[in-house]
Amino acid sequence: MTSMMTAALMTALLSLGADSDASLTVTVEGLQTPEGAVMMALYADEASWNGGDAVEGRRVVVQGLTATVEFASLPAGDYAIRMFHDVDGDGELDTNLMGIPSEPFAFSNNARGNFGPASWADAVFTVSPGGNAHALDLQ
Amino acid sequence: MALNRRHLLSLMAAGSGAAALPGLALANQPVDPVYAAFEAASREDPWTLGFTDAPSEGFDGVARRLHGRLPRGLAGVLHRNGPARFSRNEWRYRHWFDGDGMVHAWRLTPGRDVSHTARFVGTRKWQNEEAAGRFLVPTFGSNPPGSIGLRGPDDMNAANTSVMMLNGELMALWEGGSAWRLDPETLESRGSRDFHESLRGVPFSAHPKIDPDGTVWNFGQAASHDLLVLYQIGADGALRRAEMVDDIPGGMIHDFAVTDRSLVFLIGNLAFQRMQMPFLDSFGWDDSRGMRVVAIDKADWSRRRTWDMPPGFLFHVGGAWEDADGTIHVDAALSDDAEIATGHARDVMLGTPQLEHQSISRMRLITLHPDGRAEQSVFSDVCAEFPQVDPRYTGLARRFTWHVGWPDGHMRGATQLVQRDLVSGATQRFDFGTDIVVEEPLFIPNGDRAEEGEGWLVHTALNKRERATELHVFNARHIEDGPVTSWRLPYACPLGFHGCWRGV
Repeated sequence: MTSMMTAALMTALLSLGADSDASLTVTVEGLQTPEGAVMMALYADEASWNGGDAVEGRRVVVQGLTATVEFASLPAGDYAIRMFHDVDGDGELDTNLMGIPSEPFAFSNNARGNFGPASWADAVFTVSPGGNAHALDLQ
Repeated sequence: MALNRRHLLSLMAAGSGAAALPGLALANQPVDPVYAAFEAASREDPWTLGFTDAPSEGFDGVARRLHGRLPRGLAGVLHRNGPARFSRNEWRYRHWFDGDGMVHAWRLTPGRDVSHTARFVGTRKWQNEEAAGRFLVPTFGSNPPGSIGLRGPDDMNAANTSVMMLNGELMALWEGGSAWRLDPETLESRGSRDFHESLRGVPFSAHPKIDPDGTVWNFGQAASHDLLVLYQIGADGALRRAEMVDDIPGGMIHDFAVTDRSLVFLIGNLAFQRMQMPFLDSFGWDDSRGMRVVAIDKADWSRRRTWDMPPGFLFHVGGAWEDADGTIHVDAALSDDAEIATGHARDVMLGTPQLEHQSISRMRLITLHPDGRAEQSVFSDVCAEFPQVDPRYTGLARRFTWHVGWPDGHMRGATQLVQRDLVSGATQRFDFGTDIVVEEPLFIPNGDRAEEGEGWLVHTALNKRERATELHVFNARHIEDGPVTSWRLPYACPLGFHGCWRGV
């Protein structure tokens, strides 16, 4: 009986996921200056992370030294985030002459790469049905 | 088992000893073998003082006069830089070049005692790791346990290689990232030196060259992409020009030379192969080609000439000049292998140098002919490093090169100060013997109108027997007579790399 209930519950949970009944609130801390915008992209699988398309993108105008980005309706599952602080508001991640980013950036789990983006394995996190919160720190 | 009084005393001794250690290791953390090896070596070998952690607060002291007087006319500050923090939380770096930079100010005032202050450069790396009590990021040659990744090269900037004065500001230099600004009086750090918005975080190497008119030339290398950024900076510190040159082979480039017309790069055979951490592991010996020499026209960076030489490796050049027909003459401390960088500089962290990691470095005078031929002749009979010229002759035909020297097989630093007359071929030297580790000398002319080589050589040294750092001044015309004055601090500092002179 118990196992039947568990199975039913599992089915319900899985279908909730498929019905995009998860939400994600990402807080960004450690902004150096209250100007420009936070640019955030959400990826749903490793192949996309390594050069494909994001499933969701957001631009949120920065008004203080923290920012909040909402993804209201997502299928539950694994995700990873790339974000940068578009300080000058030109919509692009500025880089120096050698191509190294000169605007602050972060990946989910506050993962870091070495001379490149963080790996999917380091940046991936799970969005469960219902409300979810994730915190990024640019410091 | 009942504890007797002796047990109790020894336990308490262990307890208080451990409590006195900063950054006490966690009980279950395995002992770092490199840390343990260096601790053991440092009990036996005073040469290890040169690679021992300096106190976080720095040094403040007055040197004791051993003999002689500071010459009249030699008034100023000798600034030096070098790695000085190698371990945290009982874990030690694997490579000498990883240590955090400490900038020194030796104040020389004729008629007064020589004073010394030194401070760690307050890079982001230093500040974060000092707060954390452990190393946080990978470095040039080490991956500390639990280290986080890098968002850019300045996250690992150790600012530990050299110093320069630019328009009244002191800068600590590294070669993988930004120059770091310091107050020349207090040595307090003021953050990165951004020459332009588009150059934020771009490597600015540790051996800028200054033309007689004050123009500063430098480069930054991204060996992974076969490219250099070239810098031309005015004497006022303002950027005149910076551009990327993207076809320079990715052999590790530490230093370069200028003539009145050219920027000259000697590119050795320690070549970038594939990106790995720590960064040094990205390089390997590749002698499938020769050592490449590239001369870039100062006025038109797209114009360049190249030469090939036998495979080799170098850190430092002396100086260069160019004849009317375009022939370039350059001298450098060259070796046939890179063991000094890949072997010896790791042994240093263990505190036990190995003969098999010796690089036999010799001063060589290289002639680069307009028809593409390159010739070279050896002119030192000992191992050589830190070649120096009269700074007023940077890029110009000149007579003298000074360098430190040591006999082949001696693995514990330089013992000699050597002068070579490139015209007559005469060599002068002073041999301190093996108690002394001679650091880089700087030539300081006796006034602006003095002829080439008329002035002093000032250098620091580690006296192993006295366990103290010293400062020696030579009359450059009479090196064989030994120092005209010598001073000794009441403590030993880690060995440094490069310095600059700020006359007052």
